[in-house]
Amino acid sequence: MFGPFRITSSLSGGLLWKIPWRLSPTQKFRQRKRLRAVDQVVETLSKALAKKGETLASLERWKSEMPTEAQMQPRDKYTMFDRKEKRYRKGIHKLPKWTRVSQRVNPPGY
Amino acid sequence: MSFFKITLHRSFIGMPKRTRGVLAALGLHRRGQLVFQPVSADIAGMIMKVKELVKVEEVDRALTKQEVYAQRAPEPGFWIESFGASRRAADGLEVGKGEEGEVRL
Repeated sequence: MFGPFRITSSLSGGLLWKIPWRLSPTQKFRQRKRLRAVDQVVETLSKALAKKGETLASLERWKSEMPTEAQMQPRDKYTMFDRKEKRYRKGIHKLPKWTRVSQRVNPPGY
Repeated sequence: MSFFKITLHRSFIGMPKRTRGVLAALGLHRRGQLVFQPVSADIAGMIMKVKELVKVEEVDRALTKQEVYAQRAPEPGFWIESFGASRRAADGLEVGKGEEGEVRL
């Protein structure tokens, strides 16, 4: 059980990454905070441009297609679609650079 | 004329070259840096590209570097928050009680 030749998952199987399968409550809190921060940036931009009477295609597209943090389902906030995963969902923290990229919508029906 | 006050809040380490290029075009080279850009559709489009990395506010005018520094600089001098606390302690009285006096030196 103890000692240098004990059998552990990493010793018997080689490389073992221990990424938890779900987010902790604190990670989820910070994820919501980041989602709201992006919503805030989009709102600031749209308000400032509306004052000048200008429009921006990418901004309009974002506003029409992307739900805000309040409109999102919890499953979309913390998990994302993956075709290889059982039940087609994996934790959003498996996405590379997940704290600095936007991943809000998933295929309909999944 | 109004301006976007843009702060680079998140690091661009490991981000794609295009993203880093957009940040450089906005004038953001290091984390925590603050730049002012005029409100226009093209600047807003650039901010949309890096919206996860920046904090944005709309302000009436662009501050100069000196003004930004002046805002960040602490006030000169110091405050004594409870005047006479050490004296009361020396007299055997309870520290932290009594009149709350702030003295500016």
